[in-house]
Amino acid sequence: MVAGARRGWVKIMANVSPGADPVERVVELHLPSRLGYEKVAMDAAASVARRMGFSADRVEALRTALAEAVTNAIEHGNAHNADTRVLVILTVRPSELVVSVADQGFKPIDKAKIAPTPNIEDSFSRADKGGWGIWLIRELMDEVEFTTAPTGGNQVRMVIHLEKQP
Amino acid sequence: MHKVSAPLSIELSIPSEFGYERVVREAVASFARRIGFASERVEDLKTAVSEACLNAIEHGNAQMPEMRVDVNCVWENDVLMVRVLDHGLKRYTGHVAPCITSRVHGEAPPRGMGLYLIAQLVDTCGFESSPEGGNVLYMSMHPRRMA
Repeated sequence: MVAGARRGWVKIMANVSPGADPVERVVELHLPSRLGYEKVAMDAAASVARRMGFSADRVEALRTALAEAVTNAIEHGNAHNADTRVLVILTVRPSELVVSVADQGFKPIDKAKIAPTPNIEDSFSRADKGGWGIWLIRELMDEVEFTTAPTGGNQVRMVIHLEKQP
Repeated sequence: MHKVSAPLSIELSIPSEFGYERVVREAVASFARRIGFASERVEDLKTAVSEACLNAIEHGNAQMPEMRVDVNCVWENDVLMVRVLDHGLKRYTGHVAPCITSRVHGEAPPRGMGLYLIAQLVDTCGFESSPEGGNVLYMSMHPRRMA
């Protein structure tokens, strides 16, 4: 257990680039691929967002978007494999919060699923009525981008802008 | 057949800056609630983890914001083990005498009670040696207070 813990630390430290912009602050979080643990990411991100001065409704929007992104990573990208991890990186900038969620890419993201609006008829024909997660993320966040993580997995990068109250 | 599940764990890394200990506190509390910790135990854990992170930021990393504080939580065999690692610029592995009376009378600084407080809140705690040379404070806790 101790050795595993130390390996985790080394991995975390290695992911933080030493030449990062000094005005950026980075929080990294590694989670187990198990449904329910997306709550840990939601609570951590909400804490960061509150600290930055986001309003309560923007913090709720972020929590919802992140819940969708992390559950997608657990269910699809990591295919519920208990040995895999989900990596959440929160980058704090003066005017925005960048949240990236990466999985280990057991299943590549379906390009058709990242289209702007899913078809409601198709959703009703599904047992879980699902398929709206990515649409929801796009509705809630200011910028959304689907890329490949440096580790080769799927990565969703979401940005929420800090709008100062006049 | 009973399947032995792999230990559940989370790892966190924060900038060494006051305020970010709250992010660790929320994440660890969320993890503990998920595991099934009683709410008063979650509150104790939050306080202990905050104190540990503040020590790491203030002492171990000497308030240099470009340094990192790494936190690792492992749930295994009915015990939650939390480890807080800093870069060890300043060592603080010695124990702090809880001379509360002199503090109350203003004869000693009010701070410096963090390690004493942590020891009161968790089941076991202490320091481990680290191959990287930093301070490693471990804290272990059961989901319910021992009778």
